[in-house]
Amino acid sequence: MGFKLNAMDEDDRAYVRNQYVGFVFQNFQLLSTLTALENVMVPLELRGDKHVEPKAMELLSRVGLADRTHHYPSQLSGVEQQRVAMARAFITSPKILFADEPTGNLDEENALHLTDLLFEMNREEKTTLVLVTHNLELAQKTERILQMKGGKLVNERLIIPA
Amino acid sequence: MIEYIIKIKRKARSIFRDRWVWRMAWRDARHNFSRLFLFTASLVTGIAGVIAIGSLNYSLQDDLDRNAKELLGADLVINSNKKLSKDIFKTLDSTKVTLARDADMASMVMFMNTRQSRLIKLTALQGDFPFYGELRTKPPQAYDLMKTGRYAMLDESLATQYEVSSDDSIKIGNSVFKVAGVVTKIPGGGALTATLAPAVYISLDALDSTGLVQFGSRVGYSVYIKTLSENQTQELVKKIEPMKKKYGFSLETVEGRKRGLGQSFQSVYRFFAMLAFVALILGCLGVASSVHIYAREKREEVAVLRCVGSSGWQAFNIYFIQVFVLGIVGSLIGAVLGMGIQQVVPVIFKSFIPVELKMGISWEAVFEGLLLGAIVSLLFTILPLISVRFVPPLTVLRADFQPGRIFSKTKWATVALIVLFPVAAASYQTKSLLTGVFFSLGLAVAMGCLALVAIALLFLVRKYFPKNASFLFRHALSNLFRPNNQTRVLMVSIGLGAFIIATLSIIQNSLLHQVEFKGNTNESNTILFDIQPNQKDGVVKLIQHHQLPVNQVVPIVTCRISELKGRSFESLLNDTTDKVPEWVVTREYRVTYRDSLHHSEELIKGKLHQFNHNTKDSVSVTISEGMHETMGLEAGDSLVFNVQGILIKAHINGIRKVDWPKDPPNFIFVFPKGVLEKAPQIWVATTRVDDQQKSGLFQQELVMDFPNVSLIDLRLVLNTVNALFAKIGLVIRFLALFSILTGLVVLAGAVINSKFMRIKEYVLLRTIGARTNQIMKITLIEYSYLGLFSAMTGLVLSLSASWLLTRFFFKIEFAFNAAELLGVGAGVVFLTVLIGWWNSREVIMTPPLQVLRKEN
Repeated sequence: MGFKLNAMDEDDRAYVRNQYVGFVFQNFQLLSTLTALENVMVPLELRGDKHVEPKAMELLSRVGLADRTHHYPSQLSGVEQQRVAMARAFITSPKILFADEPTGNLDEENALHLTDLLFEMNREEKTTLVLVTHNLELAQKTERILQMKGGKLVNERLIIPA
Repeated sequence: MIEYIIKIKRKARSIFRDRWVWRMAWRDARHNFSRLFLFTASLVTGIAGVIAIGSLNYSLQDDLDRNAKELLGADLVINSNKKLSKDIFKTLDSTKVTLARDADMASMVMFMNTRQSRLIKLTALQGDFPFYGELRTKPPQAYDLMKTGRYAMLDESLATQYEVSSDDSIKIGNSVFKVAGVVTKIPGGGALTATLAPAVYISLDALDSTGLVQFGSRVGYSVYIKTLSENQTQELVKKIEPMKKKYGFSLETVEGRKRGLGQSFQSVYRFFAMLAFVALILGCLGVASSVHIYAREKREEVAVLRCVGSSGWQAFNIYFIQVFVLGIVGSLIGAVLGMGIQQVVPVIFKSFIPVELKMGISWEAVFEGLLLGAIVSLLFTILPLISVRFVPPLTVLRADFQPGRIFSKTKWATVALIVLFPVAAASYQTKSLLTGVFFSLGLAVAMGCLALVAIALLFLVRKYFPKNASFLFRHALSNLFRPNNQTRVLMVSIGLGAFIIATLSIIQNSLLHQVEFKGNTNESNTILFDIQPNQKDGVVKLIQHHQLPVNQVVPIVTCRISELKGRSFESLLNDTTDKVPEWVVTREYRVTYRDSLHHSEELIKGKLHQFNHNTKDSVSVTISEGMHETMGLEAGDSLVFNVQGILIKAHINGIRKVDWPKDPPNFIFVFPKGVLEKAPQIWVATTRVDDQQKSGLFQQELVMDFPNVSLIDLRLVLNTVNALFAKIGLVIRFLALFSILTGLVVLAGAVINSKFMRIKEYVLLRTIGARTNQIMKITLIEYSYLGLFSAMTGLVLSLSASWLLTRFFFKIEFAFNAAELLGVGAGVVFLTVLIGWWNSREVIMTPPLQVLRKEN
């Protein structure tokens, strides 16, 4: 069974996003007025789930932020903010995760750590990851690359994992 | 084949059951409390004003109900402008009622201590008036002393003004009275009455000795009746009522007085309530404007929420809960403040209130205020927030992404309710749909005009601002045009307060200018009336002796109408279908006779006719313009005058346009010479005295030589008008202050709203080398501009509105006091700069590095 997204209204699409989709953005997009923990809890709370805090705490520990749970985004560094964003994206165990230049705003070292974490979690959660990037090195870590230019698909190749 | 889902059955959760939105509202608001509160604080002053004025109304209605009899001082009063017939007293004597009487008239009084004199209302009392309520005097035995005969009492304000004490004497007519004391409270009296007509009280038995009651004197007679029961009052009314027409008197009951007072107070209340309501509407504008900007700032966060699965309504509800709850908190604070102000209100309003107010908390008014607060919080936050519902998740990636035009039923329903709201609220407060509609239209026009003036002003300033001005001045100005600015809303909300105060000042000045007789030095400022025919030459000689001009010596004859266009007095009275008002038929007319036009008159129809003794034609009279319409008379129409019992047939021969305030007295009817010369008459003389000392001497001699002649010093009228304005002006300024305060709260909200943008701007300025001193100057100049433009918006509109009001409503010359208006402008600029700077000081004083770190 699939969803015909373009025939749905905006609220139904929001529901689908909440149930099946996760997002990681280049500029993190955390809610500035919420702590790291609260940011992570939001998607499950939206479903109406109760007792979501332990799961959020677990995910924050998983991304290495167990001691930063009550910090606000403005009190976190860029990579820490992106880790919170990843925890938020994975908390619903999404079927598909969209990552838009997830390392675009990070320095090389932090970018490397974060990429590893992203792919690791992706494997653990068995999520389909759609990663949008200009970074070919990063793209090489995926299983399938669709190359686009001017909004059009120009190349497609499969990468067989070693 | 794949089956697609295009509609999902989601569990719809109402705002009350969706705990997540409440939690999110709290999480988001906890860092923004001061800012959010400032939005809703705009409502505080308006709600406080509405509740304070509403409470006053309820308390007053309550007091009027409780003290109804004290207002009249009796169960029933008979009023007449001639001595009451013995038949009436016979009727009264046949019932077991207690009577008290009074006679009042205008008269001159001379204060023997300073030998100054002035026109007063002389009230001669007899019996135990008042039967209800109290006549309070200082010293307490003054009233008893007065009843003995040769003593008089004065209104307290009069005694204070002329420094009269208990040892002094005053001369009224031919008699000298010792002062027994002052009257501090009397049923039916009040500060306003005392300002308009200060009274002197003597015993009725002593009135004859003054020699004031002569032919032509306008004396009002009253009989106060105390009955044994309400039933007896009713029976008495039934008995006396049929005698009203025959003997020409009127009856006043407790209910009637209460109704009358209630009605007059209601009109005053409505006016003041509307002023308070204006402050509330301004507050609403402030809330809507601030919330609008708040919602725009929240777009990105809403988009993130949409990405993680929040519905449009859920996102909307988060911010709606914040603003609405704080709106209610703002209303509650307004209610508490209103209850506080309520304690001050009786002091400010005491001139208008005939009873001593016992101010308790009127829960009805508080409830109404809170309800109003809830409604405005609801309406004026939904509209600016509704856009939140339609923020697309794509905004996360593309901040400038705009969805297509979306039709929202909620939005249009809210717009409709917002339009209806002032109509409904104003109609409820004034208990009149028409007033509500007109008030709302007026308010919309005023706000629209203010907005137009503000837009035009900003346009001109931008276009013609000197490009060579220093950087600080140019930068401060450009700050007013930054994105998401609230400059126009601020100009309207601060400008409206300035508009009300300035308009009041201009109208006051125009009215005062009118009575000052500045324009024409030939116009009279002193009117002498009640001159008996045998005194006429003597009075004229006295005027000339004092080297004063004799501007007019006019005879006045009193008469009534007994037939109008062939219809008798009785048929006119009984016919309820015609358009001639009853007062036109029943009133007494004071007419004059002359063969020429006075310089305040112009003949616009017909011509002046001299009376020919040899013909048997009816007499040709002229009538004033306006009155001919009221009476339904045109040139050629006939009427019959009853001049002291003699019927005179007349016809309208001309219509005069009369400039009434110009060189009085002026008349409705003017007879030709040769008709009324033999009729009983009194004379009026007018002169002009510019020198205060000369005026004092002249009045002194007049009172000594002609004690029954009264004198109106128009400069005294000027003082009275001034005093009256001081009293009304205080209340209007007090209520206009609510609007200004609201404007300033809106300003504080706007400053906080633009805080982050300002921080970025200032950091940038500092980075490129601006010093704190320069940034401070830019801020101060920016708020000076804002204050100046707001004041100018208010003043420009005020000058235009006042010009229209003076020209077409008051029909007087337009005059204003530039210094006073400048004062209003300076006050507005000062307050704006103060509030703006106060709320910006944190932004100015924060070091740039700290800001940059915080930002990152």
